[in-house]
Amino acid sequence: MRASQINRTVGFLRDAFDEASKLWWRFFDWVAVVEWRQLMLTWFFVVVFLSLLNMPEPAMWYIFGSLAIKTLAGGKRKAELLAQEATHKADVATLERRLMEARMAALQAQIEPHFLFNTLALIGQLIETDPPEAARVHAHLIEYLRSTLPQMRARDNGTLGKQVELSRAYLAIMQARMKERLQVRFEVPMYLHSSPFPPMMLQTLIENAIKHGLEPKIAGGTVIVRAFVLGAILHVEVCDDGVGIDPHADDGVGLANIRERLQLLYGDAAELIVHAPLDGGACATVRLPYKMMEGA
Amino acid sequence: MSMIPGEERIYTAMIADDEAPMRDLLRARLQAVWPELRIVAEAANGVEAVELGEQHRPDIAFLDIRMPGLSGIEAARRLYRQSHIVFATAYDQYALDAFEQGALDYLLKPVTAERLAATCARIRAQSSPIREDVGTQLVRLTELLEKKAPPSTGYLRWIQAQVGSSLRMISTREVLFFQSDEKYTRVQTAGAEYLIRKTLKELLDELDPDEFWRIHRSTLVRVEAIAEVTRDLRGRHMLRLRNYAGELEISRNHTYLFQQM
Repeated sequence: MRASQINRTVGFLRDAFDEASKLWWRFFDWVAVVEWRQLMLTWFFVVVFLSLLNMPEPAMWYIFGSLAIKTLAGGKRKAELLAQEATHKADVATLERRLMEARMAALQAQIEPHFLFNTLALIGQLIETDPPEAARVHAHLIEYLRSTLPQMRARDNGTLGKQVELSRAYLAIMQARMKERLQVRFEVPMYLHSSPFPPMMLQTLIENAIKHGLEPKIAGGTVIVRAFVLGAILHVEVCDDGVGIDPHADDGVGLANIRERLQLLYGDAAELIVHAPLDGGACATVRLPYKMMEGA
Repeated sequence: MSMIPGEERIYTAMIADDEAPMRDLLRARLQAVWPELRIVAEAANGVEAVELGEQHRPDIAFLDIRMPGLSGIEAARRLYRQSHIVFATAYDQYALDAFEQGALDYLLKPVTAERLAATCARIRAQSSPIREDVGTQLVRLTELLEKKAPPSTGYLRWIQAQVGSSLRMISTREVLFFQSDEKYTRVQTAGAEYLIRKTLKELLDELDPDEFWRIHRSTLVRVEAIAEVTRDLRGRHMLRLRNYAGELEISRNHTYLFQQM
């Protein structure tokens, strides 16, 4: 009994001390950050109030104490601002690094020898058997390379329309290879084409849908790209009716990269959601704040 | 197979590739370098390759390695006793390394006429196109590919949570911690919280032990998300996470995890 009482008392004292120290530091922070004008105003009120109570001494203590804290710790605010700025800079640097990595990854993934070899072999073969189709695939490849390569330099193709265009070229090439095993549907209204959308996200999602969803499925299936606005949120969705997501399959760097970039670009206002529809397949949706025009 | 002198033996072949243009290309190249070869079947996936192979019993089976249904190697293990196997593979370092160490025939896609002509000449020169050691070679190839390919760890990578009428797939990379909460297990990500029916015990068995640590009877935490460990005034070890405001308690018998930190 007695031991537990002592324990309880000690616990209470610890908590009280804890609270007191929290309050003290809050006061310290406040003094360090508050404007001089406001601080002097509190001095005036404290002097008036405590003089009325005939206790000038605590008022003097308060003034001297806060004056000392303010002079000694006033630099803290400046340091904080500097730290914030540094963090912001670091965030921007990280963002740029991530973007660069995504671009490089996209280059490696899409213009990898595999993709180029296969596409060029396809064109070579079609020249012998189906010249008009060869010309079409050839045109898609050029369009695809043209819209991918300047991406390494230009910053102005971060619109949904640009990304859709690039994806169409990629899908047309994949369709020439997979034939009837790959069906494609775009449900992206024209008025959304001008809205800003980060590069390389749509392609990553489409590639995943083909690679993990449709290629392993004998019958193949359909990739649907949808864009719509709900509330003030732009939804860009890539769905497939393929084999679905294996819970033990690593989601790869592609999705992790998208998530990280969304977080850096939009904070908590954007997200990547993956879900498995009841009738099979997989859907990946990027949600981000909707802006009418680029730069608006 | 014994041949009557003076009589040209007619060879038959099957082509299996999931991409139609690749089948067309191989067929065109074969017709150019070996006009007498009869192509008796074409398959668009591994399952079809085995079916058509057993039905037509071609002398040679050209098998793409990456096909839906059954891979080319799996199909080969069903067909090698009756058909000479020639693999076709796109640029794939793992497969190439494996082939370099074996003695199986393979073609690199896109198939060139020269390489195809050399392979066909070799097959024609052999008295019996079906070699007996292929079975062991295939087993070795499978083992080599399994060893060379990036390891599939078998750990759980996606958490499934019912959200409304749809099944949300949450990558384990997103999860900050799991906490058992009476009937359910709570899954916390940076932006959301989900409830799943899988118990902490089941998760503990299925998740990568290097990815998630158990820090308490009811808590599994993502190692990468750990920001710092502090002791409060009562001497309890508390864990703070990146992207999460609250603190998690580390139970006494799990504090050893952080002794080096």
